[in-house]
Parts: sequence; C-alpha cells; structure tokens
Amino acid sequence: MDTRSILAGLRRMCGILGYFRKTPGSDDQLGATMLSMLEALGRRGPDSAGVALVGPVHRASYIVRIQAGDELDLSQQAIAENREAIETFARGLDNSSNVSSSGVYVRFLLAGDIDLPALTSRIESLGEGIRVLSVGHAMELSKEVGSPRLLEGKHHISAFAGTHGIGHTRLCTESIVDLSHSQPFWGRGAADVAIVHNGHITNYHQLRRKYEQRGVGFVTENDSEVLAVYLAEALNRGATLRQGLDGVLRDMDGAFSCLAVTATEMGFVKDPYAFKPLVVAETDDFVAVATEEIAIRSAIPGDYKVSEAQVEEVRVWSR
Amino acid sequence: MVEIAATAIDAATLSTREVNALMRARLESGSTEICVENPNARHNLAVALLRPGRVRFLGSVGYYCGGLMDGAEIHVEGSAGWGLAESMSQGHVVVHGGAGNGAAAAIRGGTVVIHGDAAARLGVSMKGGLVLVAGDCGYMAGFMGQKGTLVVCGNTGQAFADSMYATTCYVGGSIGALGTDAVIEPLSAEEAATLDGLLAEHLPAELRAQKPAGRDFKKVVAGRKLWNFDKHNWKAWQDAL
Repeated sequence: MDTRSILAGLRRMCGILGYFRKTPGSDDQLGATMLSMLEALGRRGPDSAGVALVGPVHRASYIVRIQAGDELDLSQQAIAENREAIETFARGLDNSSNVSSSGVYVRFLLAGDIDLPALTSRIESLGEGIRVLSVGHAMELSKEVGSPRLLEGKHHISAFAGTHGIGHTRLCTESIVDLSHSQPFWGRGAADVAIVHNGHITNYHQLRRKYEQRGVGFVTENDSEVLAVYLAEALNRGATLRQGLDGVLRDMDGAFSCLAVTATEMGFVKDPYAFKPLVVAETDDFVAVATEEIAIRSAIPGDYKVSEAQVEEVRVWSR
Repeated sequence: MVEIAATAIDAATLSTREVNALMRARLESGSTEICVENPNARHNLAVALLRPGRVRFLGSVGYYCGGLMDGAEIHVEGSAGWGLAESMSQGHVVVHGGAGNGAAAAIRGGTVVIHGDAAARLGVSMKGGLVLVAGDCGYMAGFMGQKGTLVVCGNTGQAFADSMYATTCYVGGSIGALGTDAVIEPLSAEEAATLDGLLAEHLPAELRAQKPAGRDFKKVVAGRKLWNFDKHNWKAWQDAL
C-alpha cells in the first residue's frame, strides 16, 4: 500500500460527533439533530452506529440499559430467554420501575443508591452474552450494527429530547463487527459517562494488561474501550472531565480524536499529531463537534464558523 | 470579497460528480465565472480543474477542494476541510474562513490564501507557489518544504518548518517551536517590502490592517544540516522527526 492510500485510510476511518446545548432547558430537537449528523457521517462508518444521549436528570433514580445478547452471536430463542431473565431480575429488585424491552434491549429505572459494579456483575451473570450498556441518571446509550437509519428504526433516537450527546459511525479496522464492539462505550462503573473515539490507541495492550492485573474487566477487544475504562476510573477517583481528558493525552499513545460526555458536560481530546480530524462550531446557543464539517452543516442551519481542533487540544463544556 | 457575476450551479440537487462535471463543461464551453450554491462542506469539489476560470463557493467545502488543479481560481466563502488545493500545479485559491489539515500540501505553484486559521501540516512538501495564512497555523507547517514561500501572519504550532529543503517561511506572530533543522535568519529590507506587497495584494484592507508590518515578520529557512548525510553527525538524522 502506498503512502497516499495509507493517508486516505487514516482520514476515512469512523466518524464521531457531539452536540451540546448551551442555553437553559432541554432541546426537543436533540435526537433529530444527532441523527442528521450521524447520517452525514454514515459513509465514514458503515459497520455500526450509536449514540449516548443525555436527557433530563432523574436524580432519584438510575436509567439502566442492557443488551440481552448479540443477534450475530446468539439465536433468537437464546436472546428471548436472556431478555426474560433480565426482566424478571429487574422486576424483582427493590425500587425498580418502568421495565421495558425493545429488540435486544431491556431498560428499567432503579431508585436509590446502588453499588454499580455489583449490579453490573449480577446482571451480566444472568446469561451468556448479556451486557450492561449504560447506567446513569440522565444518559441513555443506543447502538446497532448497520446504518444510522437502522439505529433510528429500532430506537427512534430522533424523538429524544435532551441537552447533549455524542455519536459514532464505525468502520471496523480491528477486532470484530458486532453490537458490543460498536460505539459509544459506557464508562463501566461510572454513572453517566460515555466516550466515542476515532483512531487507534497503540499502547492499548499495555494499558489493558495493567488494568486487568488490578482486576478491571474488559468486555470487548476494541482498543477504544480502554478510553472508557480510563475515564470512568478517573472520574470515580474524583477527577473532573477535563482532568480525565488531560490524562488521556498524557497516558495514551497513538492517533485519537475522542469525545466524552457526563450528565452535565461534553468534552474532547485530540492527539499530539493531528492524525484524526475533528472540527468544532460554537455559538452562544450550541456547540457542535464532528469528524467532518458536513455533519454540522447538514444538521444545523445558520451562519456560524467551523474550525479544526488543534493538536493536544482539550476542551470541555459544562451546564 | 471578489464580486463575480456568475453562472450558478446549485449543488443541493446534484451529486459531487455532477457538480464537478457541470463546472468543467461550463469552463470548457467558455464560461469564466461560476458560482456554486449550497456546497454544504461536501468533499472533492473543483478537483482537477484544468482550465482558467473563477469558481465561487457560497459556503464551506470539504476535503480536497481545488486539489490537482491547474490554472483556475477558487473562492470559498466559508471554511475548507483537509487537503485544500493539494498538489495544485497553478491557480489561485482563497478561503474566507479557516482550513483543515494539509492545506496546500505538495503544491507545485499558484497561490493559496486563507483568511482564518490553518490546522496541522500546512504546506507540507510544497514544491513552489505561495501560501499565505492571515491567522494562525497548526502543528508541523512547512514540513519537508522544497520550494516556494509560506507566510503565516499569526502564530505557528510546534515543529514549524521541520526538515525543509528550500521553502522560505515568514511568521508574523510567535513560533510554537522550530522543527528539526529550521533556523531563523535575518529579514532584509527588500524581503520586508515584498511581504508588505504580498499582504496588500492578497488580503482585504480591513484584514491587512490587523496584521504585522512586513519588517516585523521572522524569516525561517532550512539550516541545511540534513541536506547531505554526514556519517560523523548521524545523530542529527536520528533526532529528526
């Protein structure tokens, strides 16, 4: 492969995007805006699409989203059995409510304080292939193998009202194409934390070994997962999102543009070599970040400036 | 802003291939001024235009706009994505906003003017021509530049003018860090006057008024220590990026 082909490949792998409403209140159009941005980046990542959307904060309860299995790995019957096991488990919990299922997803609310790692572990031991996709007071994560249109068909993300969110379209260059390896990744063990990543973390195996030696589990072979693990641990230690993203710059090698959300913040970090694109538009009303400007222009009309993020740039917006 | 009474093409209803084919056909049939509406940051617009003529994009363009061009003139009333005017032979490209990575990479001639900021790898491996950025530029601008002139009115990022051959760079603001073998050389009065002329020619008056005078620019060239391999100084190559 010649240098031009390699560079062309670097420029085309995966699409990431984020939208953050700066004005008070919830945005009825958040989901629709995110879907338009995703569709514009669909050709960068035809393998899968996903979003982590942040809605109104349910302070009294957690929103738990679970994947009952992957249609590529399990039979429909096995997934149905998993789904039933999860629903039974959820209904049996004290303070649970609103248990519902859609496709391979199960969703329920859980009030009160919870031991997040213990709950995750209990749920995932209910059956082979069960994965907790996200837990948070405000964040909900949806992803599917296939196009953004397929994601919309199954999850109706365009109807989601909220304040901010991140999304991803994946072109698989490592590991495998399935639901678990799709993005966003939840920061397992930390409520309301998710990341999307475009690039390669070249010291992934080294970092993963260190985490695993400390007992931290990984659920995929996708190098992007280490970013979610890293940020979840940093935020659980009390770091701010900015400190966490600064840490990514210090501790991760490779090519990366990474976006992250918490219940109240959205931020990004860009690698020291600018291998991966990322453009930013900011007005008094909103912040939009995407791999390509076309995603922002396609989704958000109006007169605003779009500029490329610089190397080693870290930015965070808070509500 | 250049006023162009132009033949209009609405990109909203056409594929990129159709927009480019229409543009090319109109230039070949004698049109000299074309206006493209709704470019919507789409990639590969105005690639390989080989005839003279002016094209104005009423909005942002995506990757590779004006790439491989020979002789046309392009005005972008918005920003540009990666690879603006990449490998252009001759021509004139003006971007009213900022430009993404690799703007003017490997150009052989012509002029690329960016009114806003340029991101990383501006003018890398340029083999001629003029690149003029009114704002700042990012990481590794001028890397392995072989000929031509690169002017940055604002500040540069790290590794500026790294491993160059014979591109001459001028910086009006601060230099983030010089790259390997890049050295600052005294600026002559003639060069300062030439810079004043370039800025007056290529930037609108209100933008020019905010920029440093030619005499305040720093001149950066290759130190020539990497030009010929010296086995007694092999560490210089080992340290090069």
